[in-house]
Amino acid sequence: MVNDSGQLYTMEGIAAGLVMLLTAYLILSTTSIYTPGDTHIPDMQLEQLGSDVLAMMDTPDTHGATSALETYVNTNNSTDFKTAFLGYCNAKAIGTDTLHMSANVTYRGDDDQIKEHLLVEPDETWTGRESAVRVTRWVQLDKQTSQMRPYGSRPRAVLVEVLLWRA
Amino acid sequence: MVALIAVASMVPGLLAGLQSSGIDYDAVAYRTGVILTEDPGWPGWPVYPPWEMKDQYHKDEIERMGLAVSNETPNILLSTKIEKFFNDTFFTTDDYRSKAIFGEIPYSYNITLRSLDGRYNHKVGQETPEGYGYIRRVVKIKEPSVAVIDGSLKERYTISPGDNSTTRTFTVRLDFSRLLNASIDPAYRIDPLTEPVNITITNFSEYLNKTDETVKNATLKSVTFRRGSSSIRFPFPYDTENPDLYTLSLDGNPYDLKPEAPVESNISLVLKPPATSLFPLDQNSILDIRFTFENDPPHTNITGIHYYDYNPKNVTRPALKPAVLEVAIW
Repeated sequence: MVNDSGQLYTMEGIAAGLVMLLTAYLILSTTSIYTPGDTHIPDMQLEQLGSDVLAMMDTPDTHGATSALETYVNTNNSTDFKTAFLGYCNAKAIGTDTLHMSANVTYRGDDDQIKEHLLVEPDETWTGRESAVRVTRWVQLDKQTSQMRPYGSRPRAVLVEVLLWRA
Repeated sequence: MVALIAVASMVPGLLAGLQSSGIDYDAVAYRTGVILTEDPGWPGWPVYPPWEMKDQYHKDEIERMGLAVSNETPNILLSTKIEKFFNDTFFTTDDYRSKAIFGEIPYSYNITLRSLDGRYNHKVGQETPEGYGYIRRVVKIKEPSVAVIDGSLKERYTISPGDNSTTRTFTVRLDFSRLLNASIDPAYRIDPLTEPVNITITNFSEYLNKTDETVKNATLKSVTFRRGSSSIRFPFPYDTENPDLYTLSLDGNPYDLKPEAPVESNISLVLKPPATSLFPLDQNSILDIRFTFENDPPHTNITGIHYYDYNPKNVTRPALKPAVLEVAIW
């Protein structure tokens, strides 16, 4: 007998096929592939290192002395700050690492404006596209120095920011 | 059938990335780095004795090995803890795994500490393979203080003229109420209970009795200990040398605490924490270390009390030494 009920079977078949396809697609497309574009572990290791170095530079070596970091910032000593910082960062048990840095200091000037002062310029390895980490430390500048320095004359707290990258 | 073809073409997706996640070795290395640099270990202050003073028979009482001076001074490490930790004849691989690295899996490890001037260069563990979890920490090392008594202090420590006694005693006084001063940061504190006490008398020829030309040396009869006004017994025999408790050297030669030997130019006594901990002392005690010289007629004119305290003229506290600690786990 040829009648309309064959159309129903065909449509049912097509619908069933579509449902199966859809289910199979849903299940198989939920696998996610981990791509190595994720740098959060190496970044964390570098951040911890940079933060340690700033903390150790801010620890006086003898009781009652001023820390090296406060002295470098107070006297705007860019070369010695860079040498000391990189000396700490690149030290390893065997050999040396190849880290580079730049630093700036954010402060509130005598005219109450927030300003930034470039303490250490980035060197020739800086292209602007490095995967760099930023470590910061608040430094208390306690001494009033009579020499002209960019931060002003009264004791103040300044924020030292260091950019650290491997090249 | 179309469904079958579609499924078959998606099979490669099935095989991608469906494995149990690898062990995060970087996280274990980071955790061990934190335990070593920021934790003083357990047992530690306020429990005494701290873990670095446990001997072979009490090694199981060590729960955690940390190198920090205290939990208020992260990244400042104590030299006595460093010497103990890197002693891999005392600790076994299992000890390092259960007391510093933790975790159920027996990780392989390589822990190194090197000071920037090269004086500390320690390593424990196996050789590193191609890939491993890693952390590097920058630290400073606190070393024990030294009391140096040289010829320049001669004016202070010479007997007054007219003194006719034949024994000469020179005392170094440790006043614990002055030393255990809570207002001094633990990174700069002198603590004889956990760090060695180092007394060095140099240019001893300056303290000899110059009126007699033939006198070239004086005889150190003994080194004794007193608490307050009463003398206390050294808890071990005076006449056995015991390098774990103390070292006494006269002109570079080692002796026990009853040397009765002549000394010409220098005396060096290092009293180690295991010895100090055996004396009955509390935070208000005064411990006197008495050097007794006996010759007839006396060969030396040394006398007086030298205070082992925070005065930089009396005791030299070495500067904190920068160093780098690396932990590799695989």
